[in-house]
Amino acid sequence: MVGKRAREDEVDNQKPPLKRVRALTTDHLSRLSDELTLRVLSFLSTSQLVKCQRLSHKFHVLAGDSQLWKSLYYNRFVRPRASRLPGIKDLDQSSSNLHFASKASRWLDDEHLVKGGRKTNWKRQYKLHHNWSKGSCAVDEIEVAEQATVPPLVVQLHDGIIYMADQDSLRAWSAKVERQLVAQMSFAGSRRGPPTSLAVDTSEGQVATSRLVIGFEDGSHGLFSLDHEAGRFKVVYRHQASSNGVVSAVAITWPYVVTMTATQLLSIYSFESRSGDDPGADNPCPPRLLHSLRSRTVLPPLSTSLRVAESNIVVSIAYSMPTYLSGWTVGIQEVRIDPSGKLLESRLASAIDQHYRSLAFASPPMMHHLPGPAIGALATPTATEFRHIHTKPTSLSYTHPYLLVSHPDNTLTLYLVTSTADMLTISAGSRLWGHTSSVSGAHVGGRGKAVSVSRRGDELRIWELEGGFASIAAKRRLATGDMSVQLRPEKRPTAEPSQAGLDVVKQAAGADEDASELTLSRGWIGFDDENVVVLKEQSQGRQALVVYDFT
Amino acid sequence: MAAADVPMVVLQSSDESIFSVEQKIAERSMLIKNMIEDLGTPGDEPIPIMNVTETVLRKVLDWCDHHKNDPPPTTEDDADSRKKTTDIEDWDQKYMQVDQEMLFEIILAANYMDIKALLDVGCKTVANMIKGKSPEEIRKTFNIQNDFTPEEEDQIRRENEWAEDR
Repeated sequence: MVGKRAREDEVDNQKPPLKRVRALTTDHLSRLSDELTLRVLSFLSTSQLVKCQRLSHKFHVLAGDSQLWKSLYYNRFVRPRASRLPGIKDLDQSSSNLHFASKASRWLDDEHLVKGGRKTNWKRQYKLHHNWSKGSCAVDEIEVAEQATVPPLVVQLHDGIIYMADQDSLRAWSAKVERQLVAQMSFAGSRRGPPTSLAVDTSEGQVATSRLVIGFEDGSHGLFSLDHEAGRFKVVYRHQASSNGVVSAVAITWPYVVTMTATQLLSIYSFESRSGDDPGADNPCPPRLLHSLRSRTVLPPLSTSLRVAESNIVVSIAYSMPTYLSGWTVGIQEVRIDPSGKLLESRLASAIDQHYRSLAFASPPMMHHLPGPAIGALATPTATEFRHIHTKPTSLSYTHPYLLVSHPDNTLTLYLVTSTADMLTISAGSRLWGHTSSVSGAHVGGRGKAVSVSRRGDELRIWELEGGFASIAAKRRLATGDMSVQLRPEKRPTAEPSQAGLDVVKQAAGADEDASELTLSRGWIGFDDENVVVLKEQSQGRQALVVYDFT
Repeated sequence: MAAADVPMVVLQSSDESIFSVEQKIAERSMLIKNMIEDLGTPGDEPIPIMNVTETVLRKVLDWCDHHKNDPPPTTEDDADSRKKTTDIEDWDQKYMQVDQEMLFEIILAANYMDIKALLDVGCKTVANMIKGKSPEEIRKTFNIQNDFTPEEEDQIRRENEWAEDR
């Protein structure tokens, strides 16, 4: 009857002859090997795990184990997504059998989390994702201008850096905890009128420097780079002013740059050095104009994007257009050229001939109705669908294949774009309900995550739109109004110790609500993995970037 | 598996008690199953179960006996891919109504003898003892020494506040 234990936790002085002794003198749990303790912990939920972290140093480490959290992350975030995506919806019923098959998991996984052999802190990822799904975040504000500006400031957020250009300067802030100014460059001396558009190169492979292109009111544009380590902007190239008018949209995927002017002139430049010299060299080689074409009538808001494949470059312009029967709709023009600048193809698609399909199950609360005669000839069941008139979009965001449009009538519309070698189509729009006031801006990202902001800037929502609405699970979510969650900025307790470095925050959360009557969002909203940033304008014209932090 | 005359094996506990059990029951343990496969059908030569005492081995064999007709354990360890539940079937729950000393002995024995299903039942039982308790209650239950300063513990509590609301 000797209580001998396994080797790893052999204890000599603990051989209780009487097992009935109630008073515990031995901590059996802590004597288990790490492997066995982890096995016990693997049966616990997140809230129980964080309690266990408070038990002792040993448990702090074990209950924070990355593999435990990875498994929780998969169960909570990856598996439900799998059932939502149409491609693998067969797994819907048998999702308990969905293993971490390498193919599925690579596809479903957030690839950036596993790439590069970098060790992922899964607990941190879980928390981040958890906060996104709950809409809980901390708020911070960066004041950027005392006065209202015309035209508005242009802003972009990419990979934790907020880029902003105004009349006088180009600035970059870190969106991370410190929210400090990373770099600043004055436009003084080279006055070309205020900037009107800005794009950051989001393609892979650049860590040390980021490239961005800015379009100006006078029709000129410039290529800039930001050296992250030195915290310095550099002018790579400045293009002359042109008579083609305001540069209303720009896009960059190195080494190509696209500009779009108010007169609908689309230009594609290549910065590729032909001699093969160091592309990072100080003296910029002037870009080659690859191609230039006048687009068909394209009305703002519009969005340009650039995809570079091996043998061709695809430029897409997503834009909105008015129609007779269904109000405003969207169109896409796709231009394919080869690297030498030869036009391969230009094609158009629009959602115009697709009947707007109402997926809302309850009757829409505030819809305009078309007079009967207009649809008299189409007295089919689909005719009723024409009744949903899309008001003029306030913003448009296109990240292939998602095209998201915001409307002043409190809704958003999602279109899915299909672009293959043979065809370019836009799906019927799906109306998204959730906002209770006019939506002024929306931004959709690559995995179908989207954020939207109301005109008064007081209502922000996060949408999970991945996979559209093809799957049954997604339709169910749409019907139950489960598509989005409203941001719940956390009221920071005023007397919180150990909040070093966050002194900027204080007034933001509290003051926000009182001032909301007077606050307008300019419609610009962006997000990356950890933050949502909104450009807001207060009553006196003071402009600020509001950073919502989900970490 | 079992032929007309039931094949038996002989096991020997660490304190040298001899058990004669049906081979099918003993083979719930992958340790024993592999040994038999590697060394050929055992005769009367006892198989030593080094780290397990008589009391614990008897208790473990009770479990194996009750579960002898369960489907054979899968070799792949799918612990990660399965949705975790701490549900335990009634018989196992009763079986696990032992003092902590024995509970952890069973876990160690199941781990050593490689009986995954029993190991899971044991770990779930411990997990259920943790569930719904405050850290202080958990410490009391298992006699865990708190080696944090109050400040440290408070710091951890605050860092983890986000996860507590569910």
